[in-house]
Amino acid sequence: MIELQNLSKIYDLGEVKVTGLDNVSFSCEAGEMVSIMGPSGSGKSTMMNILGCLDRPTSGTYLLDGDDVSKLSDDQLARVRNKKLGFVFQSYNLLPKIDALANVELPLIYSGQDHRHERARKALEAVGISNRARHLPPEMSGGEKQRVAIARALINDPVVILADEPTGNLDTTTSHSIMTLLTDLNKKGITIVIVTHEEDIAAYTQRTIHVRDGKITEDNVR
Amino acid sequence: MSIWESINTALKSIFANKMRSSLTMLGMVIGVCAVVLLVALGQGFQTSITNTFNNLGAYALYVSTSSDKTLTTVRPLTLDDATALTDKALAPAIGIVSPTINKTVTVQNGNNSDTVPATGILPIITQIKTYNIDMGRFITDQDVANRASVVVLGWQTEQDLFAGQDPSGQTVRVAGQKFQVVGSIQKLGGMTGDGYILMPLSTMQSKLVGGTNIQMIAVKAVSTDQVDNAIAEITSILNARHYIRPGATSDFTIRDMRETLNSMLSTLAGFSLFMGAVGAISLIVGGIGIMNIMLVSVTERTREIGIRKAIGAKRRDILLQFLIEAAALSLTGGLVGLALAMAAATGMGHVTIGQASVVPQISASIVIIALGVSIGTGLLSGTYPAFRAAQLDPIESLRHE
Repeated sequence: MIELQNLSKIYDLGEVKVTGLDNVSFSCEAGEMVSIMGPSGSGKSTMMNILGCLDRPTSGTYLLDGDDVSKLSDDQLARVRNKKLGFVFQSYNLLPKIDALANVELPLIYSGQDHRHERARKALEAVGISNRARHLPPEMSGGEKQRVAIARALINDPVVILADEPTGNLDTTTSHSIMTLLTDLNKKGITIVIVTHEEDIAAYTQRTIHVRDGKITEDNVR
Repeated sequence: MSIWESINTALKSIFANKMRSSLTMLGMVIGVCAVVLLVALGQGFQTSITNTFNNLGAYALYVSTSSDKTLTTVRPLTLDDATALTDKALAPAIGIVSPTINKTVTVQNGNNSDTVPATGILPIITQIKTYNIDMGRFITDQDVANRASVVVLGWQTEQDLFAGQDPSGQTVRVAGQKFQVVGSIQKLGGMTGDGYILMPLSTMQSKLVGGTNIQMIAVKAVSTDQVDNAIAEITSILNARHYIRPGATSDFTIRDMRETLNSMLSTLAGFSLFMGAVGAISLIVGGIGIMNIMLVSVTERTREIGIRKAIGAKRRDILLQFLIEAAALSLTGGLVGLALAMAAATGMGHVTIGQASVVPQISASIVIIALGVSIGTGLLSGTYPAFRAAQLDPIESLRHE
């Protein structure tokens, strides 16, 4: 499903070169739920950006769903993000001036698909937030916003959902319910990768990868 | 993403920021309103002048005594000169000949008096210049034959002396002598003015000026393509009568009204263009306003752009969204400006510029040009901001606070 082979990312800042990822290889099968942990500056954000097709590696290959996406153009990457990936961010990243339903529909608009309303409603139901469909994000609680964001990530039936500190802005109870939701989705067969620095959150996943100084230091399966 | 979705997205974003959108449009509103109004006034002015000339007989030739100071002998024009021009054998191209005399006089009715130009005419003048009878009748051949002391009043003179009451049959004093008013003329409009009186040429000669000299002979060719031949015929007949040697300068001038009209119209066209250019400056300012706001908007919405890119928006999608937003803003501004200009033009009714009464004319072509220019300005000023938006890096944008 996801396969990184000898992947490196070096940031060229002119005078200095900073290594984000150093010859990383790992793979993740369909239906897995994986967490990536590491202190700040460890390279986990770089890894997330490359996994999310927001950035390209300097060298190495990244196979997503069998296709090498490491050398695609910006527009091709945009297409991959739209069709194969779902994002969940720490700060939700919903558009504040359109309602929940319209936010969930957005990916469908960019891939030009029909029956957007019905599909968006179903996605909202699947995350248990259909009662808030017509509310604007600023009118919702953090947990509600994150559910809408998860619905948006689900809408295009992605190969994998990438969650970057999905509970970072939430209290313990809400964090728990969001993680329960992600775990439930995983049980239905959706592959999920979570970046976090909290052990409690990582504990919800079956496998945890530790990153430090751009390298994978541990890969533990529970 | 289809173009319709792009338009939809852009419109939603405009409505989501009403205050900012309407302020952005303001420049465009003022610019388009100014251009449309100025051009409409220019066209109205043009129409007014053309109408005036048509009333005056735009295709007439006006023969008058030369004012050339280098001529040693100048023979004034006479009624016989005018009669000579009516010779069909010598002057086949000449259709109508209408001699006139002018003098400024004082007209009195009781305590009301007016100083106006008096013109001695023959009834044939109506075939060159349009006079619509308001009340009473026009001057007849009978009046000319009898040297009748009758006058016809221009609209303004009638208003001044009789305050709108039927003046026919009333007596007025013209330069102290009694005249009977037989009729009045409707408003001419245009640039000529309506303060004047008309009387038979013969009466004018005997009672007001003396002698047989006349000041002007208006000539109309048999058809518009015979105007040049008519000029040649007038020149040869009058040169012979005035003993002008071949090659010498004539002691009379022939004014071709077509030239006057054309030169006035081209002056006016230049003037309209200038007015339009002044208006166009405000359009440019409006365009810069849109560009400025769009640039601010790109910075302000960096995060939105990042989100859209993360979930699959291509460069083209973002570019189109911002371009369409700019175009829609300026088109809407243009429409509002156009509506305001139309309302203002209607509200003005007609404007008096000097003696001319001008009705602003909003033609289909101004409307199309104004809207075209406003969309164009929007696209032009939206291009750079839209390009900046499309180039944004999604990772950086998502981090933007």
